[in-house]
Amino acid sequence: MEEGTIFGLVGPNGSGKTTTLKLLLGLIYPTAGSGTVFGYHLGNPEYKRRIGFLPEGPYFYDHLNAVELLSFYGGLFGLGGAALAARSEELLRMVGMWNRREIRVRNYSRGMLQRIGLAQALINDPDLVFLDEPTAGLDPTAQMEMRSLMQLLRSQGKTVFLCSHLLKDMEPICDSVAILSRGMVRRHGRICDLLMSDAGRYRMRVTGCQNLPLQSLKDQSLDLRIEGEEITMLFADQRAALAAAGQIADGGGSIIELGAQTRSLEDVFIEAVASGGNE
Amino acid sequence: MQAIYRVAAATFHEAWRRRFLNAILVFAVLIIGSSWSLAYLQPGAELKLLIDIGLGSIRFFGMLIAIFLGVRLISDEIEKRTIHTILTKPVTRAQFLLGKFFGSLATVFSNLALMGIAFYAVFAFKAPGFMNKQPTDQSAGPAFSTEFIYANIAKAIGLTFVEMMVVTALAIMASTLFSWIMAVVFTFFIYFAGQAADFFKTLGNPQRGTGMFSQVVFNTVYGILPHFEVFDMREAILKGTYVGWDVLAQHVGLGVVYTVLILLVGYLAFMNREV
Repeated sequence: MEEGTIFGLVGPNGSGKTTTLKLLLGLIYPTAGSGTVFGYHLGNPEYKRRIGFLPEGPYFYDHLNAVELLSFYGGLFGLGGAALAARSEELLRMVGMWNRREIRVRNYSRGMLQRIGLAQALINDPDLVFLDEPTAGLDPTAQMEMRSLMQLLRSQGKTVFLCSHLLKDMEPICDSVAILSRGMVRRHGRICDLLMSDAGRYRMRVTGCQNLPLQSLKDQSLDLRIEGEEITMLFADQRAALAAAGQIADGGGSIIELGAQTRSLEDVFIEAVASGGNE
Repeated sequence: MQAIYRVAAATFHEAWRRRFLNAILVFAVLIIGSSWSLAYLQPGAELKLLIDIGLGSIRFFGMLIAIFLGVRLISDEIEKRTIHTILTKPVTRAQFLLGKFFGSLATVFSNLALMGIAFYAVFAFKAPGFMNKQPTDQSAGPAFSTEFIYANIAKAIGLTFVEMMVVTALAIMASTLFSWIMAVVFTFFIYFAGQAADFFKTLGNPQRGTGMFSQVVFNTVYGILPHFEVFDMREAILKGTYVGWDVLAQHVGLGVVYTVLILLVGYLAFMNREV
């Protein structure tokens, strides 16, 4: 992980995301091996002074209001007095809870819980923030606001460790990702590199294939799939795609779509998980 | 220290918002407040009955509060996952456990104090009238004097607090090991078995013809169980026996030793528990 970036840890259910996160946070202990962050062993109280954590579906002492809650968490860092009050106000304004600071946690909506959860995670002005499924269960507007907050944290120089299975949320904001499957990292790297790994490839969809030379097209393409009357092909480059397009036109086929192959994080994820499953 | 204090303060404030515990306190105060009327059921022994019911209620309801408060402290935090946001701050598990313990102890203490005040109020109001009815012949009954009884009652309530400190530690230890229902069963079982610790000693006595294996078992159980009966001063008060400060200090010391050992077991269990 590079400092000042957003790192995403993704993986299917049961892949080991939560276990990894708990190990990093010192909530569980490794049965073998060890780890260090900022030069500290995991679980070291000094290390915990430099991190923040927003759990999935956070629960808090529900008799407290937002100010009391931040006062409690700030107190665990030894913060108090005017400095804590100022920090609380700054965070409550940042997460949009300042005007609702008197409401007790028991009356919070899911979105409000996520907001106050993020505020408590930042009370100590951490260098590294762990966020577990921060957008899960939020409405689209709240999701967008949460993503903006994460980008704001990055712009403030903080490193964000994002754990989620909502790939569409992660793709636009993560700088790098690691794909976890069956307890192993299957792919990792900068997100632009992972999505560009198919650069130059072309994809074509056609119909009216009755008279087409399928074996020839199969030989020319990297992948050919037939679904009903439709054929989808993947070509190594533009020239191969255009040559095949000529054959298809001559054979009376209709080209529905022809264009450069683009990949989503979801494609990379599925491929990585499938490769892990074959091992 | 700051972390322990913060966790303790949060535990204390949250405990006072638990309606079930508040209901126990209200019920206890009502029982204590009406104890003088029950005392009339035994003419000639009103004072004894007043003390027996008052101190017995403080002890019984104090035990209920200590157990029902303690058994959910750790398991609830794990179940509701509130513990995740605390242990990821610079708070060790030992600090968390101690914070929970001291917060509970403060709650138990304040509850006992309120019950004690209620009892003293009833006692101050009714005892002088009952004292006149006590036998004047010292050989026929205990020597009762106002100062003597007031001092002994204060000592008795103090020892009840020490006893509840042990019960609180026991309930918290159970909370680190079991779900809250199991923890309730376990704590009640140990508490009542501890009340009857001497019974196990009797069973393990070789003069009763007990076999070697049974002797070892009963004497081990006797040794392990906290001897809760030593914290009960009612009999001494009712007999008019003077309980010296040295005896009191011994019992307090025993309570502290029990508490430390029990918390240590709880800590070892909590250290290895996945949260």
